[in-house]
Amino acid sequence: MESLARLTPLYPDRALIVAVTGAAGQIAYSLLPLLASGTVFGPQQRIKLQLLDVPAAESVLKGVCCELEDGAYPLLDHPVLYTSVADEAFAGADIVVLLGSFPRKPGMERKDLLAKNGTIFRDQGQALNRVAKADAHVIVVGNPANTNAWTLSQFCTKIPKEHITALARLDHNRLKSLVARKLDSAVSDVHNVIIWGNHSATQYPDVTYAYTPQIVQGKMRAALGGDSQLASEVIPLIQKRGAEVLALRKLSSAMSAAKAIGDHLRDWMFGTQTENEIVSMIVPSDGSYGIDKGLMFAFPVQCHRGGKYRIVSDLRIDDFSRKYIETTLAELRSEREEAMRLVSKMC
Amino acid sequence: MNVARRFGARLVQRLGCRWLATEATASPKSAAGAASGSGAVGKLSDLLPPLRVAVTGAAGQIGYQLVTRIASGEMLGKNQPIHLSCIETPQGMKALRGVVMELEDCAFPLLKSVSATDQVDKGFADADFAILVGAKPRGPGMERRDLLASNAQIFAEQGRALNKVASREVRVLVVGNPANTNALVAAANAPDIWAEQITAMSRLDQNRAITQLALKMHCDVAEVERVIIWGNHSTTQYPDLSHALVRGEWIRPRIDEDWYRNEFIPRIQKRGAEVIEARGASSAASAANGAIDHMRDLWLGAGNKWLSMSVPSDGSYGIDACLWYSVPCLCPGAHFRRILELPVDEFSASMMERTRKELIEERDAVRHLLPRDYERIISMSNPLARSQQPKQSASIPVADSASNDTQASMKAVGSGKRK
Repeated sequence: MESLARLTPLYPDRALIVAVTGAAGQIAYSLLPLLASGTVFGPQQRIKLQLLDVPAAESVLKGVCCELEDGAYPLLDHPVLYTSVADEAFAGADIVVLLGSFPRKPGMERKDLLAKNGTIFRDQGQALNRVAKADAHVIVVGNPANTNAWTLSQFCTKIPKEHITALARLDHNRLKSLVARKLDSAVSDVHNVIIWGNHSATQYPDVTYAYTPQIVQGKMRAALGGDSQLASEVIPLIQKRGAEVLALRKLSSAMSAAKAIGDHLRDWMFGTQTENEIVSMIVPSDGSYGIDKGLMFAFPVQCHRGGKYRIVSDLRIDDFSRKYIETTLAELRSEREEAMRLVSKMC
Repeated sequence: MNVARRFGARLVQRLGCRWLATEATASPKSAAGAASGSGAVGKLSDLLPPLRVAVTGAAGQIGYQLVTRIASGEMLGKNQPIHLSCIETPQGMKALRGVVMELEDCAFPLLKSVSATDQVDKGFADADFAILVGAKPRGPGMERRDLLASNAQIFAEQGRALNKVASREVRVLVVGNPANTNALVAAANAPDIWAEQITAMSRLDQNRAITQLALKMHCDVAEVERVIIWGNHSTTQYPDLSHALVRGEWIRPRIDEDWYRNEFIPRIQKRGAEVIEARGASSAASAANGAIDHMRDLWLGAGNKWLSMSVPSDGSYGIDACLWYSVPCLCPGAHFRRILELPVDEFSASMMERTRKELIEERDAVRHLLPRDYERIISMSNPLARSQQPKQSASIPVADSASNDTQASMKAVGSGKRK
C-alpha cells in the first residue's frame, strides 16, 4: 500500500505552475478539479494554473475559471490565467498537459489529421522552447499522442527529450482493472500489467509479467485462459474500450482519462509506489527491445522522485508478445515517417 | 428512544476509527485539512470497514464529477473503502453503464464495488450515505409551481425508499434543485429517519462567497473564515459577511458597503446563471465539489470552521419549523451543530426574512403532496424531541474534543429556541 509521506511537496516555497491546453474541453473539466484539490500533487503543494484554448472557446474557458474560483480550493492561486496565446499559457510552466489536438472530422484522411496536428504541436513546441522552464515535464494526451509528442520534441530543444512523454496510463489502468475483475481480485492487488506501443487500436496490453498475491509472476497468461483467450478477448477488449464507453455515454471517456493523467503525473514526479512497481508511459525509446531510438513508444517504466523514469529493459519477450509489438511498431514507424515529411516541409 | 443505544455506541466507534484515520492521513502543515484528496491510500492495516454510498442522477453532469471523486476517497477519507451504488432514471441507464465502465477503468483502490440501477429500493439498500443529485430540470414554459410539484413526486418516492431500505444512520445530502424543499419532501416521507440526517447543500454558495471575498481582500482562500450563507439555495440566499474573518481579523467594518450590497451579494446569488451564460452548461464541477466538501466535513469533522448547511429548522433565528434553511454550523464529526444566537443586524434580518418567505411559498406549493401530519412526522423523527433537553448556553459553541462531542452534539441539535 502507498505511503502518504511520498507526496511531500515538490516546491514547498512556491506554487507549481501547471499549463493545460484544450482547457475548455471535456478531459480538462474532469482534470482541473483534481489538480486544484491536491489530488495529483499532494495536499501541501500550491498550484498555479495557466489555461490555453482556441479563441472560439474563450467564453467556455472563462466559465471554467469561474468554476475553479467557485471551488474555493485552498491550494489554488488566483487569478487563474486563461488565454489563447501559447506563450502566455506556457510561461514558466513546470508541468505542461497537452490535452488539445485537432480532432478527426468525418471524411478526414489519417494524413490530414497528422498534418493538422503537426502544425499545432510544432507551434507549441516552439512556444515551450521560448518560455517554459528548462526542466519542464510534459505529457501529451491529444491524439495521435505518440506522434504529436514526437513532433513536439523536434521543435522543443531546450527541454530534455526524456521530459516529453505521452499517456498510456488509461490503457494501463483499464488492463489492471480488467485483470482484477477476471480474477475477482482487489484492483490494488494487481501489479505490473504493461501497455506497449502506440496509443491506438494497435496497442499491446500485456499481462505476461503481471502478478497478484494469488497468481505469481509468469502464471498470469494461463490464469486468464491462455494465449488464445488473450488474443480473442482480453487484448481486443482493452484496445476497443474507448469506443465501448463512447457508444454508451455518447461522450468520450473524459473522467477515466483525467484520472489516468493524474496517476501518470503523480507517479512520474513522486516516484512509483514501490521498488518493483511497473507503470506504463509513452516515452522516447532508448533502443530497448529493438524499438528505434527516439520513437515515442509505450514502455514499462519505473519512476523516481523528481520526475525521472527508467525504462525496464530486461524483460524477455516471447513470440506471442513480439507479434503484437511489431504490429504497433510498424504503425508508429509509418506515422513518424509521415510526420518527418511534414516537419521537413515546415522547417 | 434510547439515543445512546441508537447512536452512541456505533457513533463513538465510528468517531474513534475516524479520528484514527484522520490522524493517519492528515499532514500537520496541510492547508487543505485532514481529508484533502492526495491520491494516496492509507496502509492496509488502517483501512476501515466499507461504507455504502448511493448517488442518484449518477450519469448526469454533476453525478459524473461526483462519483469519481467519491470513489477516489476525497469524500470519506483515504482509509475508507466504498461500495458505490449509482441510481438513474430508466432513460439514463445506458449512459450509466458507460459511467460504471469508466469507474472500473479508473482502477480506484478504495472502490470495492459499483452497482447501477433504476430502482430506488435497490439502489438505497443499506446505504450509509445518499446523495440526491437527480432532479427534474426546468423545461421551457414550465412554471416554478410545476417544477416544485414534479420534484416533490421524485423526492417523496426517494424519502419512502430511504425509510424502507437505507441504513438507520444514513446521511442524506440533497443537491438536486429546488434542494431545500426537496429535502423537506424527502424527510416528510421518511418518518423513521431523523430529519437532521437529511441536509441540503449551500456549500457551493459558501465556497463562491469565500473566493470572491478573498479576491477582494487580496488574501488566500484559506485565510477567510466565517462566511455564512442563509436561507434558500436560490437567488434569495443571503451571503453574509457580518461575522467574516480574514487572517483572524473581523473585517465587516472595512467592507465597502456599496460593493457588498450591489456587487458581492447579487454576484453570489446569481453566480449559477453567470456560469451557465459563459459555459453554455450548468456549473457541474463546482456543484460536485461543494457536495464533496459538505459531506466530507460533515462526516470527518472540520474543527472550528463555520460551514453553511441547509438543515431542518429548530426554531432558531425565527425560522419556521420544518423548513430546510441554510445556517452556519460546526462539524465535530458524523453530525452538525448549529451555531446559535448570532447577532443579526437590520440589513441581515431583512435579507434572511426574504429568503424565509420564499421557502414558505415553496413549501406551500407542495403542501398538498406532503402527508397531512408531516409536521408531526418531522418533529417526532427526532429522538430527543421526546425528552426535554436543557436549553443550550448563550455562548457561541466551540468544537470540543472528540470524547465530549458525542454527548454535546446530541444535546445541541435537540435544543435551541422553540417558538
